[in-house]
Amino acid sequence: MPAKRTAAATAAPTVTKSLSSGPKTLTANSSVSDIIHHVWQQYLSTTPQRTMLLDVFMAFLVLVGGIQFVYCVVAGNYPFNAFLSGFCAAVGQFVLTASLRMQTSSPAPKSGKTSSSGKDGKSSGEEGISHERAFADYIFGSLILHFFCINFIN
Amino acid sequence: MRWCLSLLLFGFLAVVHALSSSGSRLLVVLEDADEKDAYSTFWGDLEARGYNLAFESPKSDKLSLFELGERAYDHVLLLPPRSKGFGPSLSPKNLIEFMNKDGNVLLALSGKSTTPSAISSLLLELDLHLSTDRSSIIVDHFNYDTLSADEKHDVLLLQRPGPLRPDTKAFFGGEGVLAFPRTAPHTLGDSNPLLAPILRAPATAYSYNPKEDAGSAEDVVASGSQLALVSAMQARNSARFTLLGSVESLQDKWFSATVKAPGDGKESETANREFAKQLTAWTFKETGVLKVGKIEHHLANDGELNPKIYRIKNETVFSIEISEYSYGKYVPFEVPENDALQLEFTMLSPFHRLDLQPSSKTENSTIYSTQFTVPDQHGIFSFRVNYKRPFLTNIEEKHEVTVRHYAHNEYPRSWKISGGWVWIAGLWSVIGGFLAFVIVWLYSAPTSTASTTKKTQ
Repeated sequence: MPAKRTAAATAAPTVTKSLSSGPKTLTANSSVSDIIHHVWQQYLSTTPQRTMLLDVFMAFLVLVGGIQFVYCVVAGNYPFNAFLSGFCAAVGQFVLTASLRMQTSSPAPKSGKTSSSGKDGKSSGEEGISHERAFADYIFGSLILHFFCINFIN
Repeated sequence: MRWCLSLLLFGFLAVVHALSSSGSRLLVVLEDADEKDAYSTFWGDLEARGYNLAFESPKSDKLSLFELGERAYDHVLLLPPRSKGFGPSLSPKNLIEFMNKDGNVLLALSGKSTTPSAISSLLLELDLHLSTDRSSIIVDHFNYDTLSADEKHDVLLLQRPGPLRPDTKAFFGGEGVLAFPRTAPHTLGDSNPLLAPILRAPATAYSYNPKEDAGSAEDVVASGSQLALVSAMQARNSARFTLLGSVESLQDKWFSATVKAPGDGKESETANREFAKQLTAWTFKETGVLKVGKIEHHLANDGELNPKIYRIKNETVFSIEISEYSYGKYVPFEVPENDALQLEFTMLSPFHRLDLQPSSKTENSTIYSTQFTVPDQHGIFSFRVNYKRPFLTNIEEKHEVTVRHYAHNEYPRSWKISGGWVWIAGLWSVIGGFLAFVIVWLYSAPTSTASTTKKTQ
């Protein structure tokens, strides 16, 4: 899921960039491995560090959620509340992180660079949410999620 | 002082009440005072066992089973009347009313005279059926007394009865042979489950009306062990009714008669006296009376006695103390070999039906107990012991308790269940990953903003 998403997200800028700048252009006949390698290189070179950090964290969540689901299938769902809270924590954290990524991966709004304009509600509402505001929302949402999950797992 | 007085009173009561567990006032309904002498041994035996015998004629005006709405007697012994019936004070309705008030009735019939229709209708009410002519006697050409009835074959010789079923007690068993002269037989209907035969006729016996000619033996109504000589009914309130086919078997003459079976049987004494004792003892509640003592239930690992509330899946112990009254004293009750005393834990229908095992014994009672796990269902439950067997008084005990579900803090904590460790680890790794992510995110902020500003520029 995150791999696809990142591929889709990065594909559009990659193509336009490669079209504008000469050396790394793909030919129509290039092999699949070439394409993948090219996409990966483009991703590494063009993605901002914070977005990459988000992607790493999302991949980690997919891994944790996948392990928990496989364990449930293999070993049975006996403490079902434990399964629900463990699995839902991973899924919910993934959704929250994906929202954070949507709000921060696009180039930040110009006013968002300075904190003073970030506080200005009207301007941020028109141009999107500032990164700081998005991150604060993310932490708030995550803490609520963790609180519920820990409570539910008893 | 007061102690002494109550002890004295208690002793006095004990003397008065004598052997029967339900009272000693015995009414004997006897039409002819002359007949009284024929049964003198029988009366003597009853008086020796502590009964206060009151002889009354059925025609007597002051005879009444009730006095001010209460029973005037504890037991009634009815000897067959000569006339058409017992009269207004002993109508079937009154006798049933007497039994409804826990009175016991022993009714004896005779084959010598026609049974009155009033008695027949009383018996019909209890689903006991006499032959339609009401004057038949039972005849057996193989088990008769050769000394007294060589011609007529109407004195039956029978073995003492064993247990009715493999799972009942034999209250009437023993050694010896019984003589039943000129018995009026009866059959048991199948619509009254409270009836139990005490003594059945042998397979070769049949019912025969001596007033008709010999041809009547061809169309017999009932024969063989369909015919009963002695039967008992125990009502739901444990009042007892016994029907004895042959009143003559209670006479002195047959208490000590010598009889001889056909074939090369040797002469022997009858066991009628012993059987009459057993029969009256059972009917007048000297035997087969069960009493429930303490009933206790509690959690298996100690705790409060008889709590009002249990939780689902609790380990629970139930015990009941039962004694049996037997000839003047309470003895430990023992369940017959093939029978079981059972406990039901019910809410509408039983969730558990368990055999109670004897766990300990006191001087005059047995304590039965069992241990079980309360079912996984909350609601209002009851401990029930429902023990109804022929010849034993009914036990019906019901004790309600509430069964609640787990309280919120009674579930095991998540880490106690090893199967959930993976998910707990998953949850905490998500939280740990989140914290690490937040820290890294905050530390990476300046460079990231720098790079983005560069790129936008």
